[in-house]
Amino acid sequence: MSYLLEQVLNGLSYGLVLSLIAAGFAIVFTSTGVLNFAHGSVVLLGAYLVAVLHPTIGFWPAVLVGMAGSAVTGVLINAVLVRNLADRKPDTAAILMLGVDIVLLTELTRRIGNQVLTLGAPWGASVVRFGDVSLPTGRVLAAGVTVVAFAGLWYLFSRTDLGVGMRAAAADGPTASLMGIRLSRTAATGWALAGVLAAVAGVFLTSFPAPGVAPTVALSAFAAIPAWVLGGFDSVPGAVVGGLVIGLTSALVTGYEAELEPFLGTGFGEVAPYVVMIVVLLVRPSGLLGSKEAVRV
Amino acid sequence: MKHLPRASALSAAAVTLLALAACSTTAPSAEGGGGSDDVATGNGVTDSEITIGMLTDLSGPFAAGAAVQVTETQAYWDQVNADGGVCGRDVTVDVQDHGYDPQRAVTLYRSMAPDVIALQQVLGGPTSSAVLPLAEQDDVYVGGVGWAGSALAYPNNQLPGASNAVQAANAVDYMLDELGVAEGSSIGVVYFAGDYGGDSLAGAEHAAEERGVEIVAQEITSQTTDLSAQASALAQADVAGVVLAAAPTQFASLAGVLSSQGADVPIIGMNPTFNPSLLTTPAADALLANAYSITSISPYANTDAPGVQAANDLYAEADPDGAVGWEVPLAYVQAELLKQALDGACESGDLTPEGVVAALGESSSVDTEGLLPDGLDYSNAGQSPTTTVFISKVSADADAGLELLDQVSGPSAESFSYGG
Repeated sequence: MSYLLEQVLNGLSYGLVLSLIAAGFAIVFTSTGVLNFAHGSVVLLGAYLVAVLHPTIGFWPAVLVGMAGSAVTGVLINAVLVRNLADRKPDTAAILMLGVDIVLLTELTRRIGNQVLTLGAPWGASVVRFGDVSLPTGRVLAAGVTVVAFAGLWYLFSRTDLGVGMRAAAADGPTASLMGIRLSRTAATGWALAGVLAAVAGVFLTSFPAPGVAPTVALSAFAAIPAWVLGGFDSVPGAVVGGLVIGLTSALVTGYEAELEPFLGTGFGEVAPYVVMIVVLLVRPSGLLGSKEAVRV
Repeated sequence: MKHLPRASALSAAAVTLLALAACSTTAPSAEGGGGSDDVATGNGVTDSEITIGMLTDLSGPFAAGAAVQVTETQAYWDQVNADGGVCGRDVTVDVQDHGYDPQRAVTLYRSMAPDVIALQQVLGGPTSSAVLPLAEQDDVYVGGVGWAGSALAYPNNQLPGASNAVQAANAVDYMLDELGVAEGSSIGVVYFAGDYGGDSLAGAEHAAEERGVEIVAQEITSQTTDLSAQASALAQADVAGVVLAAAPTQFASLAGVLSSQGADVPIIGMNPTFNPSLLTTPAADALLANAYSITSISPYANTDAPGVQAANDLYAEADPDGAVGWEVPLAYVQAELLKQALDGACESGDLTPEGVVAALGESSSVDTEGLLPDGLDYSNAGQSPTTTVFISKVSADADAGLELLDQVSGPSAESFSYGG
């Protein structure tokens, strides 16, 4: 029983980290209609900044710089590249983002080399024990931070003019613009928010139980894509639910591989998130919490 | 007139096809410089020069390690040239960057093949899988493609030491013989999907059957950087040890999580799983306590071996500030293996691509001054050239983080055979 509980907690805490990344995808999509395939590299960038800066300025200031760096990068990608696209179709922007991803990832890979850069997180490799169950401290913190982050997002989107403006811009850009909402401002805010969430996710994705910053982190971030898609492309709550579902599915399928192997073979844990995503989309084509219009884009 | 463009397009296509066919059927040895001595020569060889190729990854995921290998390789051949060269000729290295892209590797191979006698290295699994069959058709020697058993099927390939399956079988043997793992217990195998991991799993399974232990397998990909779920599953299965055929990130995560769960068991990583930078991560203590590395090639710190000392000295001179690690002895020994094959071809009077492959097939006892186990046998095509591997302990005191414990050849490694 404690084994099941341990795998469930593993899965949920990992799922919350994924949901931070998935929410970044969703926020960029709602604020600018872009499928941001460069998001994985932005996650890596945030973690990389923390790893290289922590020896000189300390871990927490480095985290702040990492968040700011990722946010500024997102805003610049939007301001320099996305806004200047002559053809504002989502598919053109998506291909542009793949290009940005390659450029960013190549540069970060060159800088990181074959090293595994340590993040210098003060919680190190410590674990928290709940009875028989142990969970890495980093993951417990990640869960707490994620909950706070999503509470903040909820407040922003439902209680502030800026957030309500972002929702209006997402729902109907031209009308929102006529009503005095500055679309450039809501778009920049969306990209910046996604960058901040990416950096936070990067910190938790590269601290214990993961060893540190290596270029593969950008790929690990893509594990959040099924979470984003199954939650509905344009829904932040959907991203949270999606992240939890995907985290739980991977942990349980991997954890019970011995029992499942006669039916599913080995290595199904890697595929399971995509299978869940496809099944959900078959039943609900617009995702768990997505709006129907978003899917038709 | 209406059909003319189509007809001309067709004929253009036909001409192109003919041209391509002509290219691909040109025997690599059909041209090339003549020799003033009694040696027959072919592609990549002139009276004064031998050109060898190196297809590596200078812009993709393995760029950093590849750069170390290029530096060391260049330094090796410079030294050989200073000592008189090979067969009275200077050796030049044509280094090309495939960026870990198999398509680019094939294109580069095609353009390089007519001008080189052999390829010292094609770095990377997917890239070498793409190049090996072409090189086999052309009868061109290819070294440095890693240790996957699938590469052994090509007689033109030279594996630098024991294959992945032999390493993994030795890992299981070592756990039973030296690390106190009892018969009847379970051993975890965490492996990358693909050639490298699949071959390692096959070796571990063979050893498990021979030695009466149970294998608990966990397949992962390089994206899996948090091995919490896998570690919990292994701890739940009460494994007495773990064999890891993955990359450094996975080594650190697995060791760290197992240790945090109180599973104090030995973890043995295969060839490329250790990197000295892991000792700066939070998993360092767990690695120092429980981690071992089995390698086909001697660890960097084994300077008792004259070959390793020579490799390290050469690198220190070529790049005093360069990152040290297992790439240094690896690049040196790959060059050394090719040099021995070139020397063999020269001695038999056939300094052509085919002559190099033939010399490789006849070498049944290759020594490399301790860089690889002695007595490598490349005459038995399809099988690992040796069953001996190096076992090292992760150590904070050793250079590059690995301290050599022993060279071992376990009973299961010796009884393992491909296709058998």
